[in-house]
Amino acid sequence: MIQVINGLVYGSFLYVLAVGLVLIFGLRRVTNFAHGSFFMLGAYVSYAAAAHLGFWTGMIVSVAALAVFGALLDRFVFRPLSREEPIVTLLVTFGLLFVLEDAVRTIWGKDYISVSAPEALSGSVTLFGSQFPTYRLFVIAVAIAVALGLAVWLRSTKVGLYVRASSVDPVTTAMQGVDTDRLSALVVAIGTGLAGLSGTIAGPLMALSPSMGGYIIIDCFIVVVTGGLTSFTGAFVAALVIGQFHNLGLVYVPEVASVIPLLIMAAVLGLRPQGLAGPRK
Amino acid sequence: MIDSKRATFLGLSAVAVSAVLATSAWAAKEPLKIGVPTSLTGPYSQLGDEVKRAVEFAVNEANAAGGVDGRKVEVRFLDTEAKPDLARQQAEKLALEGYNIMTATIASSEVLAIGPMLGRWNALYVATVTKANDITGKQCQPRLFRVNRPDYSDAAVIQPWLATRSEAKWAIVAADYAWGRGSGEGFRNAAAATGKTVVSENYPPLGSNDYAAFIQKVLDSGAQGMWVALAGRDAITFARQAKQFGLFDKVTTAGISFTTDGTVKVLGDVVKGINTIINYSATLDTPANRKFVSDWAKAYPGDSPTNFGGETYIGMQVIFQAVKKAGSVKPADVAKAMAGGTFETILGTQLMRKEDHQLVGPNYFGIVEAVNGTLRPAIKMTVPAQTATPGPDANCKL
Repeated sequence: MIQVINGLVYGSFLYVLAVGLVLIFGLRRVTNFAHGSFFMLGAYVSYAAAAHLGFWTGMIVSVAALAVFGALLDRFVFRPLSREEPIVTLLVTFGLLFVLEDAVRTIWGKDYISVSAPEALSGSVTLFGSQFPTYRLFVIAVAIAVALGLAVWLRSTKVGLYVRASSVDPVTTAMQGVDTDRLSALVVAIGTGLAGLSGTIAGPLMALSPSMGGYIIIDCFIVVVTGGLTSFTGAFVAALVIGQFHNLGLVYVPEVASVIPLLIMAAVLGLRPQGLAGPRK
Repeated sequence: MIDSKRATFLGLSAVAVSAVLATSAWAAKEPLKIGVPTSLTGPYSQLGDEVKRAVEFAVNEANAAGGVDGRKVEVRFLDTEAKPDLARQQAEKLALEGYNIMTATIASSEVLAIGPMLGRWNALYVATVTKANDITGKQCQPRLFRVNRPDYSDAAVIQPWLATRSEAKWAIVAADYAWGRGSGEGFRNAAAATGKTVVSENYPPLGSNDYAAFIQKVLDSGAQGMWVALAGRDAITFARQAKQFGLFDKVTTAGISFTTDGTVKVLGDVVKGINTIINYSATLDTPANRKFVSDWAKAYPGDSPTNFGGETYIGMQVIFQAVKKAGSVKPADVAKAMAGGTFETILGTQLMRKEDHQLVGPNYFGIVEAVNGTLRPAIKMTVPAQTATPGPDANCKL
């Protein structure tokens, strides 16, 4: 049972990162290759801020800084490139990945950094007779909070309605009088802010390095594609399923565990090319 | 005052003349071009940085002393990202560009990919930190050499330590490629020889993000001790997560490349008290090592050479001395001078065995503890060269 909870932790972590990617793709139709580097930047910003202000303030600073970065990115990169071929924006995000990695390497160096969990979460609790780190339960709680927060925002507010409409058909939504550019800036900011949040929660789990985004972004893309590209619910379900099978694979069939997420994606796309919860074409 | 000015003038003139002479001598002889295909990015980037600094230090030191065999030493680094295919491509590129005496790659799987191609590329390779037995075992090559301690040498060191331990059940957590698998096999043999049982074997993929599944398996196995062969980013991520699960408090932990100078600096108290094989330490008290450490601190203020840095410097010492002995930078000539030769290293005079191209050197065992107020791997046991490097490997047919 503890291994199931471990799978839930990894799935939760993947979800927080992947849902930002879904938001950005939904509104801007941008396959954001730089999302892993936003995650990495979030981890470093949080680490730097936490050194002076503590973990919790570091988390807020990281989310806010990445959200501002996202808004600027949308205004000065995604919006001007929105009339170009999608490949142009894709290549720009690919270039941005290298720029951000080099920038972080210049500022913080290339040595690995390890971050401690905050004092309040550094202990453990007894679950099913085993000692389980409190911090890992916190990761699950963050994912639940993000999922609930997004669900309420998207389903109960006017802006959320516009976001859902724009995700399905941005042109018609704009024709109805919705300022899709402002909406996109907001959504990209939230998407990058979530990358900052996932970078922050990754700090006490894995070594920080300028290339750390590369280790997680493939699993993240698998979650998004399996979930259905623009579907928030799909990303949630896909993250939990992939996290679970990935972890159970490591326990029972470690030799092939690394290909299990890819097999799940292939199986889902074979049966439902639009993904678990993607709209039918 | 005039005398002082005159002395300064004469001094500067002497330096200028020496520089001109050195440059002229360098111009007359083909330079020694060293290629370094190594991990500048990826899960072993910090290790790549450590070996890069050691190579640069050795090259600058040699050139400041007039070069090697009167030749200027040039070096070129290319990134391999710890990927065997990329390592082979980058090594071929270096060889084609004339940097055909190569060294300091991080992962064994990369060296095993480069090794079979050396003859075709007319190149030579000296392994300095890679441990898979096969490098000087069944996949040995006429142009492939190794100066650091292989897995079987680490097993020869762990066995006497294991014999003193009361823990009967052990688990293994090692990287899932040639080095980790070889290290796991070495530990399993050492455990069998000392009457211990291995109850759990785990080989996480390189660059894993979450080790919880493996940590829980070790906890559930009832192991009282654990052998860890993870390095770089993997070592740091695993250690941080294992500490959160209380694993280090429940099982006696020992490892190789796990708690190095580099990872201890990053992890601090998380790895305090962990037992470790130490292949090189800046604290080793030999005259040559003291000088090396002192010169290193002048080149890199506030820093001391790490285990990977020290081992790579030994590789550079062997290359330089072999070039001098050969009087040539042709890989075939250098290989001939290297095989069966003895070399003055920071760990003393060492033999490069002609049978398997393995340098015969000592090995060490210790624990992570505070030394002069700084947490670092501290040597507790020294195993002399002949015991620490048994064999030539019978699988090697040169």
